[in-house]
Amino acid sequence: MPNQRYDLIVIGSGPGGYVAAIRASQLKMRVAVIERDRPGGVCLNWGCIPSKALLNSAEAMDTIRTAAQEHGIATGEVRVDFKRVIARSREAADKLSKGVRFLLRKNKVDYFEAHATLAGPHAVALAASPGKPNPPAATLEAERILIAAGSGERLFPGMTIGNGVMTSREALVHDTLPASIVIIGAGAIGLEFGYFYSAFGTAVTIVELEKQMLPGFDAEIAEELRKAFLKRGATVMLGHGYKSMTRKGGGWRVALDAAGTAASVEAECVLVAVGRAPLSTDLGLERVGVEVERGYIKIDDSFRTTCPSIYAIGDVARMPLLAHKASAEGVAAVEIMAGAREPGFDLLAIPGCIYCEPEVATVGLSEAQARERGIDVTVGKFPFRANGKAVAVNQTEGFVKLVASKQYGEVLGCQIIGHHATDLISEVVLGRTLETTTAEIGRSIHPHPTLSEAIMEAALSAEGEAINF
Amino acid sequence: MKRPGDQVHHGDALAEVETDKADMVMESFDDGVLEEIRLKEGESAPVGAVIAVLRPLNGESAATAPRAEAPAEAPADAATAPTLSSARPERVTTLEPSRRRRRSEAASASRGRQEVDANPAADQQGAEDDGAETAPARPVVHPAMSAHPSAAPTAIVAPPAPSQAPAMEVAVVTDGSKLRASPLARRAAEEAGIDLAAIRGTGPEGRITKRDVDNFIREQQLFRFRRLVAPREGLPGTREELSKMRKTIANRMAQSKREIPHFYVTVEVDMEEVVRLKKSLETTELFDQNITYNDIIIKATALALARYTRMNASYQDEGIVIYPNINIGMAVAVEDGLIVPVIHNCERLTLPQIAEAARRLVGKAARGGFSGDDLSGATFTISNMGMLGVEHFAAVIVPPQAAILAVSAVKDRPVVRDGQVVVGKTMMITVACDHRIIDGVVGARFVNEIKRFLENPASLLV
Repeated sequence: MPNQRYDLIVIGSGPGGYVAAIRASQLKMRVAVIERDRPGGVCLNWGCIPSKALLNSAEAMDTIRTAAQEHGIATGEVRVDFKRVIARSREAADKLSKGVRFLLRKNKVDYFEAHATLAGPHAVALAASPGKPNPPAATLEAERILIAAGSGERLFPGMTIGNGVMTSREALVHDTLPASIVIIGAGAIGLEFGYFYSAFGTAVTIVELEKQMLPGFDAEIAEELRKAFLKRGATVMLGHGYKSMTRKGGGWRVALDAAGTAASVEAECVLVAVGRAPLSTDLGLERVGVEVERGYIKIDDSFRTTCPSIYAIGDVARMPLLAHKASAEGVAAVEIMAGAREPGFDLLAIPGCIYCEPEVATVGLSEAQARERGIDVTVGKFPFRANGKAVAVNQTEGFVKLVASKQYGEVLGCQIIGHHATDLISEVVLGRTLETTTAEIGRSIHPHPTLSEAIMEAALSAEGEAINF
Repeated sequence: MKRPGDQVHHGDALAEVETDKADMVMESFDDGVLEEIRLKEGESAPVGAVIAVLRPLNGESAATAPRAEAPAEAPADAATAPTLSSARPERVTTLEPSRRRRRSEAASASRGRQEVDANPAADQQGAEDDGAETAPARPVVHPAMSAHPSAAPTAIVAPPAPSQAPAMEVAVVTDGSKLRASPLARRAAEEAGIDLAAIRGTGPEGRITKRDVDNFIREQQLFRFRRLVAPREGLPGTREELSKMRKTIANRMAQSKREIPHFYVTVEVDMEEVVRLKKSLETTELFDQNITYNDIIIKATALALARYTRMNASYQDEGIVIYPNINIGMAVAVEDGLIVPVIHNCERLTLPQIAEAARRLVGKAARGGFSGDDLSGATFTISNMGMLGVEHFAAVIVPPQAAILAVSAVKDRPVVRDGQVVVGKTMMITVACDHRIIDGVVGARFVNEIKRFLENPASLLV
């Protein structure tokens, strides 16, 4: 099928690319997707999904370890087959990756395994991806091209992967449990792996350059999370920047700098989790005049790049680097192309979740961000220790913080830290989409006993009417 | 678009209707055969007039319907007719005829190539007169009738006259709870005192969102401003109704002169250095935006206010309130009144920042979109009539402020330099002070402080 003309070529089959391709097909476009790795992208294969499988194992471990003391359920000696833990996670990834392949086929989207580069405003050149067969065509042509190339792990200059030095990608297949690990970066990825390894008994040290965990997040949430990590036996070093790394014994010695003072940590393994960078360098962007700003492809309100026939979405286009943001942008982009939607995209309505324990989930503005914007805010707060269900299941860590405008009670944002926080946030996301105020959330009857009552109480608290706290 | 005898189906385009606000396509609400067109292309008709008769399929002719009486009642000159009815079609069909007629009088005419019938009774009457047993021709009514000023930006150019407020009447009969609107939009509209029925929703299926409310408010402000750009002269021998703005100005100014014992201090400022500074800033292009005399005067005044805090204050029964910030309002003339956009926190702003803030406010004045803060919160006011070439004037304090600065034109006047009379550029500034809290010496020092800053303008850049 060489040299066919498509309506749309999507580069990348991650949560942005494959969702955009399916939506485009529903909108009667003839679509091709080009993927150089595996269907589903980082999310399914090397990110969200396999890591959640690992965290689920960690949670099981947590439960078993505390079972005797907590429930009086005595267990024998607990032994871990770590290879099985990793294998289970891979199975989950494989299953979903096959699912994506199936969905693309079902929606009559042509799928090419190849490395794609832009050959012109309407042309994409295909080259064989390492370890994959030659693609069936040298170039594909289309009316429009959508770049959804995603992002890759960021590394410090001069750092090489191997011998126990890992990014999240290596950690996901590293099937021997390290005795100790230094995690550089206390963002979402660092904290999830920090929780995972500490649950299995690894000595975990988390190093962060900023003065708080989860830089950019609400400070109160970050502090609550730091306490939770300390309680679980992790070492947390805030305000420490990475300097260098040297081999020591079978492990590594990591030199750090804390505002001029030198420090160091030693461990068997090092996990570098200092964020992700857009994969915009080897797409041939300059050839077609697609401009890039600090690594991200520049886009307008319609997701159009500086080359009018080329669009970009997801991690490669702009922050935040989140799978569900990429999916939503993918749908928006093709609907705008088809004239089925107005340009524009509300970046403030995107929830962000961290799946360590306690979980963290946020949407919209934090209290500090709202105040920076000069908004007169009121904050409703409710701790899980005052929530019946949380007490019953002994998951009383954390709280709900609801940020609303004083003028109208407009829900500006919400931050939750606690058990199942990531499942609870959707109520507030929906509330924001529907322009609900704290009055309606507070008046909606929430089932008792559930953790969701904490959101109702936080809304009431913002209105100055909290009942249970 | 259709000729008599054509079959018409529900949703078919019947005519293009041109109103003061927008052109739109009128669709048929029923199936039938177009029996008669009573209006020639390009002709105007008032709201309520019958423009065409639609006969039901298989129905008998109803062409004997009398012509609508409305035209006779409507103002003859369509061009001066300010508005069209905001009646909603579903309501039109349920209203009492007497009520409807009253509104069609009030609503007056809108121009249209073909006008829409809002008077079903006329047709029905006709059918009955005819003694026809068959269903009467149904009236053709279109949502264009409900188009509100907010529906199109052009509405700003042709606002409803204040004396005729059909929208208000509609608001009374509108059941607001049936309108689809987000809770936030409801709350915002309620606090702004806006009837949701007046707002066009852009959310899913016409749901009114907060953005729609914001846009509506912005358009209203824009409209108010546009309406007021050119000074209005009254016709001799007429009495003019007081506008809301006129009433406000009258009340505030009378209250000021009644309650505030004004005294005035004037100094002459040598503007030679300011003129030089402005020129040098312009030629060197050190800043992106131009810096005006007004910006320079605001900066000098802000600096002086920071030193004489009593001038940035308010007399209250409980005591003298010294404001924490310096928010300077600039009186801007508009037709039949004035508005006072405010630059907040002048004490923290550099000269270029003040220039930028002023430029932004001027932009908003031109395009609309003043937010609440832009027009409120002033702690001191400057009235600048320099561009009107005045020699000297004094202004009336805006309560609850304590003082106002009147700035006159920069003029060539004889000045004495080094014992010689030479031609210099000078400007009179006059401060009016509330004598209840400001004494003569403070007022005098304050204007002299402004004078010192302006005569040594390098100080403004520090």
